[in-house]
Amino acid sequence: MDLLIQLTLNGLFNGAHFALLAMGFALIFGTTGVVHFAYGPVYAVGAYAIWALAALVGLPFWLAVLLGIAFTAALGVGCYLFIYRPFEISGSPPFVVLVASLGLFIVMKNLIGIVFGTGVKTVDSVAYDVHFVGNAFFTTVQLGQVAAALLVGCGIALFLRASRYGKAIRAMADNREMATVIGIDTTRLSILVFALGSAVSAVAGALVLLRDGLNPNMGFGAVFVAFVAVIVGGVGSLRGAVIAAFLLAFVQSLGMWQIPTEWQNTIVFVVLFGFLLARPSGIVRRA
Amino acid sequence: MEYLAHILVMVCLYGILATSFNLLIGFGGIFALAHATFYASGAYAAGILGTKLGIGFPLTLLAGVVVTAGLGLLVAFPAMRVGSHYLVVITLALQAITIDVLMNSKPLTGGPDGIAGIPPVSLFGTALTSPVTFLPLAAVMAALCCAVAWRLGASPFGRSLRAMRENEAAAQAVGKNLVRMKLVVFAMSAGLASVAGTLIAHYIAFVNPESFTIEETILILAMVILGGMGNLWGSLAGAAILVLLPEGLKFVHVPGDIADMVRQVIYGVVLIVILRLRPEGLFPETVFRTPTGAARSSVPANGPLSSAVERAGGTPGEVVVSATSLSKHFGGIQAVKDLTIDLKRGEIVGLIGPNGAGKTTAFNLLSGFLRPTGGTILYRGRDVTTLKPHEVVAAGLARSFQDLKLFTKLTVVENILVSLPAQPGDRPLDVYVRPGLVRRADRENVARALEIASFVGLLAKADETAANLSYAEEKLLVIARLLATGADVLLLDEPLSGLDTVTVERICGVIRDLARANKAVCIIEHNLEVIRGVCDEIVFIDEGRVLTKGPPDTLMRDRELAERYFG
Amino acid sequence: MSKRTLFAALVLSSALTSGAALAADPAVYKIGGIFAMTGASPHYGKVMSAGAQLAVDEINAQGGIDGVKLQLVIEDHKSGSAQAAVAGMNRLIDVEGVKAVLPSFSTVTLATMPIGDQKKVMMINGGGVSAQTVGTSPYMFNIRSMASDLAAGIAHRAAEQGAKKLAQIAIKSEFGDATIAATTKAWEGMGLKMVAAEQFQADAANIDTQVAKLRASQPDAIANWPTTPQAGLAVKRMRELGMKQPVYCMEWTAEDTKVAGKHAEGVEVVTDYFAATDENPWSKRFADAYKAKFGEMPDFYAANYYEGVYVIAELIRRAKAKGGDYYSGERLVQALWENPTFDSVYGKTLTFRKNGVAQKPVAVFRLENGEQTFVKFTSGD
Repeated sequence: MDLLIQLTLNGLFNGAHFALLAMGFALIFGTTGVVHFAYGPVYAVGAYAIWALAALVGLPFWLAVLLGIAFTAALGVGCYLFIYRPFEISGSPPFVVLVASLGLFIVMKNLIGIVFGTGVKTVDSVAYDVHFVGNAFFTTVQLGQVAAALLVGCGIALFLRASRYGKAIRAMADNREMATVIGIDTTRLSILVFALGSAVSAVAGALVLLRDGLNPNMGFGAVFVAFVAVIVGGVGSLRGAVIAAFLLAFVQSLGMWQIPTEWQNTIVFVVLFGFLLARPSGIVRRA
Repeated sequence: MEYLAHILVMVCLYGILATSFNLLIGFGGIFALAHATFYASGAYAAGILGTKLGIGFPLTLLAGVVVTAGLGLLVAFPAMRVGSHYLVVITLALQAITIDVLMNSKPLTGGPDGIAGIPPVSLFGTALTSPVTFLPLAAVMAALCCAVAWRLGASPFGRSLRAMRENEAAAQAVGKNLVRMKLVVFAMSAGLASVAGTLIAHYIAFVNPESFTIEETILILAMVILGGMGNLWGSLAGAAILVLLPEGLKFVHVPGDIADMVRQVIYGVVLIVILRLRPEGLFPETVFRTPTGAARSSVPANGPLSSAVERAGGTPGEVVVSATSLSKHFGGIQAVKDLTIDLKRGEIVGLIGPNGAGKTTAFNLLSGFLRPTGGTILYRGRDVTTLKPHEVVAAGLARSFQDLKLFTKLTVVENILVSLPAQPGDRPLDVYVRPGLVRRADRENVARALEIASFVGLLAKADETAANLSYAEEKLLVIARLLATGADVLLLDEPLSGLDTVTVERICGVIRDLARANKAVCIIEHNLEVIRGVCDEIVFIDEGRVLTKGPPDTLMRDRELAERYFG
Repeated sequence: MSKRTLFAALVLSSALTSGAALAADPAVYKIGGIFAMTGASPHYGKVMSAGAQLAVDEINAQGGIDGVKLQLVIEDHKSGSAQAAVAGMNRLIDVEGVKAVLPSFSTVTLATMPIGDQKKVMMINGGGVSAQTVGTSPYMFNIRSMASDLAAGIAHRAAEQGAKKLAQIAIKSEFGDATIAATTKAWEGMGLKMVAAEQFQADAANIDTQVAKLRASQPDAIANWPTTPQAGLAVKRMRELGMKQPVYCMEWTAEDTKVAGKHAEGVEVVTDYFAATDENPWSKRFADAYKAKFGEMPDFYAANYYEGVYVIAELIRRAKAKGGDYYSGERLVQALWENPTFDSVYGKTLTFRKNGVAQKPVAVFRLENGEQTFVKFTSGD
């Protein structure tokens, strides 16, 4: 029973982390259609930037996080303007853009190793507590992950619903050509979603820095989880992506209750496999 | 020398992987990203058979191909259920499961340790243990695999695959059995990939799960995209570049322990730059287009009907298709109810009605694209209600689409060619076993396709891609494609909308010609002038059911109808 | 004699004379290293190449081997790609002309070993612990204690401290599998109970589930088998989840201490005894030089590859002293068996056993104030 509670809690916390990653990716992928594989290393670079500002420069952690988020947003926009947009203009097929993104992934991942070294980076200036529910434990950082997912999720939902830009983004995600026809500046919106999506990933990065520390290879798992969550959730649906992120995390956690843990990936992916076969258009279907 | 030989061996192996992957994604348009799984399957088959059962090379190759082709069939089933992005995720999932299974099935696969000591290939009494001795074998196998892939890609079957890639519904509508095609291309692609697996297992005498991760699939994908999708030479070039580039970079001297990371950065940058310079990949698809060559000059322009269309048998006026009480509802919406319609030889029926009346749904029911919730469809007395679209076409009933659904990246003549029925070259077995027959049949088919093109007035554009046609020409091509199916019942969904009067007249003429050739024709049309000029009978439907029917002149005098439809 | 055959004869004879000339010294002695320079765990590549490079630099600073310098040529196996390793091995032998190679990672060693065997190139592994690499080729040597040795040491240490129920956590890798199997055998051999063995994929997003199951099995002690940096991460997670049991590791580096932070305190590491102390001047000198050059303390991986280069240099020296066409893998191996004992940076000497494995003293260390502190030698054997 204790184990079950602990596993549920773990699912919740990891779900929050996955949800943050998935929301950022969903904004970018859902709106622009770019399979932004380099989302992974952008997230990693953002986290490294926060680490550098906090541990090397010695800024207070909150300030480092704020600056890091801004930096990551700029980096995301840079990816769009200097890599993807030229391909877009020349009308390249999406899978060519995917491979270009892959090239970018390799470049950024190795640049991290060159600039920051290959060792693990941690921050020990931030103290946090351990809490318990019955016999199950969790830390303040994990709580922070849930809070961040909630805040960011609500913030984005509000933005998409209420603001002029948000509505334009939704129109563009719905139908890109139509959006152009009715006079929406898709380039400007693409810049905006790349900035927003990357910024969201930096939030996830800041919390992971506190929780697990950083390594140059952290981007691959992140973009993989985000991509899977977005597809399972239904492309173009932020809500779907969040639900799918939690679903993945819970299966990953609770699925191991009675099954040897070395089969973790298999369980997760068998569930996913079955799910997509039964419901081939994702959790939230689009009209 | 040994080193160079090793690099060339790797170029050969990746050449096999990239060309086989290209069959699947470049030709079939199926983005199943699990190629490393097939690669692994071949390698582990060789590893397990070689170390546990002492079975040697040619047999391990055979076993690997058979097992992996079977695995390919297994993957094909979910792949047929979902498309595009979902397929990507499902196959990535499969890839992750593969690694888990290899890692965790220790007694069989050796788990993370892998399998060491796989016996080398022995040919003519010599063990091929060094790269130099292995290279000839790798080169021969690569040439063989590429020949196999090439033969398929360049065959009528390969053409059908490309048509399927362009538009699945249209491929079905010209009689292609997509299930069979997908199964074949999956099995072939997987089987060929396993050859590379078997070779590497014997070559380095060791297999482990880490060699077959998602990264490996992505690398092979990059080779295909870089080389150009749908071009098998391109895949070879892509494989060569992505194998040689990192090796070449090793000769770039970089000091310190960051050397290899710097090289990878250069590698990534080069990859992006190449793609920027050649956004469609290094080699475009063109070489696989069907040449019309000499055949074209022997076909006169604007050829006669008789050369393009065979006269249908039976007596004029005989009922060919008889649909009774068809109904179809989606959820709570009744799209078609109690629709009864007869199509007769030599007659043209006009299906009219307001938007959303259920006209296109009726076509979808008749052509097998939708299965009716009630009612029956008889074709010359045979119940065809539950047949699949390609079976309906084979029976003799074909349809066109309102939104045309051309195979845009195929040439005009290929669009027509693909639609010709009963091609020996569409049977993969015959492609390999009876090449003479296939070649002869395709030569005849090209000639025939050109005649059809000539009849609709597209001969001059025969070698243009469909994407380069004007709207009027596109509409003509739709008709040509429909004719090519050889069906004697033709359903045309708005063949005239959006055309200038000259083209309308021309297509009307074609439609009349078809009726004269004893075909049963049914068209959906809004232009009443045309309807009056062309149709022998008008069926007016609204809200999913037949309101009235009769000869055009009578019906158009009907006051109620005039009010409801003509306002 | 046609022109063509004349030419062939000339080429042949010049090849023969140059073959004879091989008995002279090469311009430089190249030593190959096949390391994880990129990929999932480039940290290993960094410390292993650093250790080996330091040894090369030191030897060269003292004039090399009779005036001929050493050169380290590194090939990247991308953290475990057998294909990359095989390409690298071929390149080292064929293009660089190395006679001795330092591989790392068991799978990589297994994949490259047949080439070394065939081309008669000596291989000294200082990283992988899988027993599969032992005794398969006369050219294959190990200077790291195998998993089975270390596992026995840890089982004894845990039992001696009163544990009755042991739980294990490991990565799903050859290292993890080998260690779990060896420890289970040693532990159950003492009639004690193994309550859990959890594993996770090397690229797992998190290991919370595994740690939760570990905790639920209520062990007296935990055998923590992940490699760097997951070893540190696992300890951090366990401690955060309120697990206070003693933790034993087989591998623990400075990286792990960084990741685990304050939770590293008290973790015990049972491994090849490497401690830079005053009683052992070479180890002190090595540690100081390493620190000066790379800005951090060396771990035992750095030490193993540092030592590997010294062993190879010694073998070249010995082979050369015997004269003839001395620079070959065969002659190096021959020189090794003439006297399988070498000076060791670990203190005193190391001796290769008949199976090609150099026996090293295994010791228990405890992490105190972030430093590995020597506790005692184990009684594992």
